[in-house]
Amino acid sequence: MSLVDDIVKSVRDKVDEYLVSVRESKKFMVKLSNSEVTVVQSWIEYDVSLYITKNERIAVTSYTSRDPREAIAKTATLIDKLEKSPLYAKLPEPNGETLNYMDEDIIDIIENGDIENVIGGLELNNYQGLSGAIDLTAWKSTLKGSNGAEFNQMGTSFNGYVRIFRGEVSGQWAWTSTSYDLNMAKRAIQVAFELADECSKLPMEKVDPGRYRVLLSPMVVANLISHVVASASAGSVILGFSFLHGYKPGDSVASHVLTLRDAPRDRSMPDFSGHDDEGIITRDKAIIENGVFKGFLHNTKTARLMKEETTGNAGWILPRPFNVLVEPGSLKPSEMLEALGDGLYITNNWYTRFQNYLEGRFSSVTRDALFIVKNGRATACSSRVRISDLMPNLLYAIEDLGSEVWPIQWWEVETPSKVPFMLVSELGITRPEI
Amino acid sequence: MDQEILGEIVDFALSSGASYAEARYHSIRSFTTYILNNQVLGASYGDSEGVSIRVLVNGGLGFASTSIINKENLIDTVKKAISAARASSMSRRKPITLSPERPSRIKYRVLEKIPLNSIPDEDKIDELKDIVKSVELNRGPMKVTSYTVSYEDNVEEKMIINSEGALVESIIPRVEVFYNISASAGDRNANRWNQLGVTGGLEALKNMNLHDVIDDDVNSLYINIVKAQQLPSKSRMDVVLSPEIVALSTHEAAGHPSEADRVLGREAAQAGLSYRRELKEGYKIGSEHVTIIDDPTIPGSYGFYLVDDEGVQARPKVLIEKGVLKELLHNRETASVFGVNSNASARAMDYRSEPIVRMSNTYLAPRDYDFEELVEDVNEGIYMKKYMEWNIDDYRWGARYVGLEAYYIKNGRIMHPLRNVVLEITTKEYYSSIDAVGKDLTFYAGTCGKGEPPQPLPVWMGGPHVRLKNVEVK
Repeated sequence: MSLVDDIVKSVRDKVDEYLVSVRESKKFMVKLSNSEVTVVQSWIEYDVSLYITKNERIAVTSYTSRDPREAIAKTATLIDKLEKSPLYAKLPEPNGETLNYMDEDIIDIIENGDIENVIGGLELNNYQGLSGAIDLTAWKSTLKGSNGAEFNQMGTSFNGYVRIFRGEVSGQWAWTSTSYDLNMAKRAIQVAFELADECSKLPMEKVDPGRYRVLLSPMVVANLISHVVASASAGSVILGFSFLHGYKPGDSVASHVLTLRDAPRDRSMPDFSGHDDEGIITRDKAIIENGVFKGFLHNTKTARLMKEETTGNAGWILPRPFNVLVEPGSLKPSEMLEALGDGLYITNNWYTRFQNYLEGRFSSVTRDALFIVKNGRATACSSRVRISDLMPNLLYAIEDLGSEVWPIQWWEVETPSKVPFMLVSELGITRPEI
Repeated sequence: MDQEILGEIVDFALSSGASYAEARYHSIRSFTTYILNNQVLGASYGDSEGVSIRVLVNGGLGFASTSIINKENLIDTVKKAISAARASSMSRRKPITLSPERPSRIKYRVLEKIPLNSIPDEDKIDELKDIVKSVELNRGPMKVTSYTVSYEDNVEEKMIINSEGALVESIIPRVEVFYNISASAGDRNANRWNQLGVTGGLEALKNMNLHDVIDDDVNSLYINIVKAQQLPSKSRMDVVLSPEIVALSTHEAAGHPSEADRVLGREAAQAGLSYRRELKEGYKIGSEHVTIIDDPTIPGSYGFYLVDDEGVQARPKVLIEKGVLKELLHNRETASVFGVNSNASARAMDYRSEPIVRMSNTYLAPRDYDFEELVEDVNEGIYMKKYMEWNIDDYRWGARYVGLEAYYIKNGRIMHPLRNVVLEITTKEYYSSIDAVGKDLTFYAGTCGKGEPPQPLPVWMGGPHVRLKNVEVK
């Protein structure tokens, strides 16, 4: 009997509804710093989760061992003592699909701990100070539920990021995919190197606080847009973490050039899936289309509370995005600095924090190369200023987007994202005065 | 966990070519409940349990972990770690070495005055709900639009054996509460989230004074939304900072940059670097009033431990003494590079995580001022009491703290509240401008982020009120 069937058998007579999820993953990660390997890590993981309801009460358990009996027994006992949950909704009829994408090369590399195929072709010694992480994962997932859901999916992923130093300045870039393609890593290294190299050849200048035209790289766009997507989850609205809380479908929320999608069907991106955690079929959907808000991401629970329909974005308790896509625009790579004219080209950022989630007041610190651009030419380099503004201001100030989307996922961008460069007509910039 | 099996797999690693091997059994069993707008959303149990193996082979470091705890699978996991270490060694110019340390042999557990398992979990939910419901949320025109509270207790159990003779067994129970309150009045909105956490038993929930803490935060929202005015323009003036903001800044601007792996660049692509790459021990970064300590041995603290995850005995570490940079935080790898001993700063989040250099409980040491004395000498200034937004650059040099609750000070008196006052300042200016430090050391819980894969870890951050002389606010 399989692990899932074993769990189902132990729980089905004790509860009204159940969902069992088992995810088995094998991971291989190489961490780099100062152009050397700092550690190679290898994991085999079993993540088992159980969702149960009884008389509209909800309990969840998650565990990593393969013997879940004690945890299940405790959860099944506890649920009788809980209250009816304000989030409860009956599990839906499942209509999901199975989507698979397996790259045998990734599986081979993980099985054999084949570091040569991870870093052998990257010529680390050509770079003075290269840091980063490269991650390969192969996973299998099973979802089985009392609503009839039964899905088995398999997938692989290959993602990573590199930061390259040239003296005091640096460039950073990332990639993500479901296929092993070392050219993606090489391209990221090349972009990071060029950013650092170009910055190192320019004079360093301080950026005065003020409002600037800015060009945001896909690294920055992926980070900032992830907060827009998080705000579009109905869960964020209910918990008080969304600046989109007052909006309804059809409202204008951004410049007409912005179309933002959740893309679970894109099998080139690691978080693809044919079904959500309740067994509902996933679909690619616009969150914002040509600047117009199209709706919140829902599971059946949030949909019931907000009197809407599930969008196939269930996590068990709150909705979640799968993969993020920002539709490309018209700016060709060679035209970007010219289109910027006078302003700042920000290549990377981190530490985005909100003063006020409801109003969308935030700041985020730039890192790595930051170019001061005059008349369409980078004339100086700077670093470590702060983007400080309101999210609605940023969304309305988007003037144009790059014609190419870049697959980004790294330490500061958890959800796999395909995003272009973004030209913003005005954005607040601050920094310490001394 | 069977000590013999862990010992055998360490021996197997040595016989397979490792010059150093370390096995860690690591489990975390948790209970969590969530309350939304005074209604119980649900509850959950978590059970993370497994074994990690870390080895050095030919100067390369390899790490592997598994949740399937039987001898056969553990041997396979050792083989994976050995293979990873061999692969790692091939790209290294210099082999990784570990500082020589006296291996600890100790068994300890944090006592629970009221054990976590002494009452049924549903009783904990009832107790929490009673506290949460008792807070008056709506004040004047301000309405609370969302009010979420979560409670978690967990027990972390470890057994660490290494090839140099360390044997460390520990059991650490923790209690934590997290909440978010969102409120609005007219066209103004604001959030306040907060985290409380300690090691210990259920007595912690009573000692947290949760009702009063939440009540005070609702009041802060009321002041921010209904009462506060904008600061008319940016200017330089004296600023009195509360223990909450001093605690955070101590963690961000003194603790993180003192992590030796960050100084060496090992986290460069993730959490970044440190100003301590250039500014060495002995550099005067602040006034004589500034002394900052990281101490894992504080009883009841959220970041408590007596021996680190490499089997090294813990002790307080002075990071800044009277304004002068002192020791870094080390694990055995970084200590070896610097030619010093480890000061027991290696921590791993769970069995899936490698031990890396981390903070524990980091605080700015108290001195002798009362709060009233700090304020009475200010002709014109700001008192920043609570924050929401903060961040710092990846060199830990330029930081920003934005007041959720702040006040204008005039002629030594606290006057009207100010909305979203910003202190954006370099680390050197911040520590150099401190001219007086209070006596009221207070600790706050936090979840510190670092590592790849990320390893969020419990810490305390602490400090008293301090006064900054003539800094820019906006």
